[in-house]
Amino acid sequence: MIKQLLIWVNETPEFHAAAAWTIDLARILSAQVYAVYIMPADARAKKGKRVNSEQEEKAWQVLYEIEDEAFEQNVRVSLLLETGDPLQRLCELSASYKTDLLVVSANCPVPAAELVRHSPKPVIFYKQPKEE
Amino acid sequence: MLKKLSELLSRSSVILSLQASEKTKAIAELAAPLIAEGVVIDEKEFVASILRRENLESTGIGFGVAIPHARTNAVKTMALTFGRSSEGVDFSSLDGKPSHLIFLIAAPETMKREYIWTLAKLSSLLRRDEVRKGLYNAQSADEVLAVIEQYERY
Repeated sequence: MIKQLLIWVNETPEFHAAAAWTIDLARILSAQVYAVYIMPADARAKKGKRVNSEQEEKAWQVLYEIEDEAFEQNVRVSLLLETGDPLQRLCELSASYKTDLLVVSANCPVPAAELVRHSPKPVIFYKQPKEE
Repeated sequence: MLKKLSELLSRSSVILSLQASEKTKAIAELAAPLIAEGVVIDEKEFVASILRRENLESTGIGFGVAIPHARTNAVKTMALTFGRSSEGVDFSSLDGKPSHLIFLIAAPETMKREYIWTLAKLSSLLRRDEVRKGLYNAQSADEVLAVIEQYERY
């Protein structure tokens, strides 16, 4: 039984499409969605605090857009803003929140084989259908 | 034109010592200044909208902070209220800890962009230790507003 879905989100249309699909799936399954935005670990050190807070605001905007979409569809959602290596964080979050499925965009920058090998749960790579 | 957080929060919407320790009562207490100011035109619908979201989302963002919010036609214009609770209120935060600093956001249905922007700005701001510390230590509504004004980016 799939009850909890973890979706990796960012500001790209491909990731947004994957999130929309995940919300729809969660609605059908009456499942809860954990939406996570992962910021690079070195953002603060490289670019300074001010840039980091701009990045944080952008990240929250993406997360709250997802939250609003989930709310419209009556889907339970929790927002997570994380920092670090995406592969590592996704696997850790999947384990700590005991999610049943990880959904990422097919355009995900982490190599698919790596993600599948390390993820404690099944992974769906969502590819947006081409418009006819 | 997007308003600054310090422009959305009025002095009369700052509650330095929230009385309620239960979520629904805390939301009603936080909504009261907005009702008094005429920002909320339908109290029942506004509180129901906030609670509908609370049933689907955890608005506790961790660090002892919660941001209950609603975008609804029961609201005339966008506004914030702030409440500080020494006891803490359970907003089902993912870190399992009670919320002591609570911002309530009210927005009209039509102001989606401003609403998302305000949520994002506030969430980002409240992850900063120095901001939370300033809000914990503020002795007056003016000091709360000064903390927000000092740290919010333009």
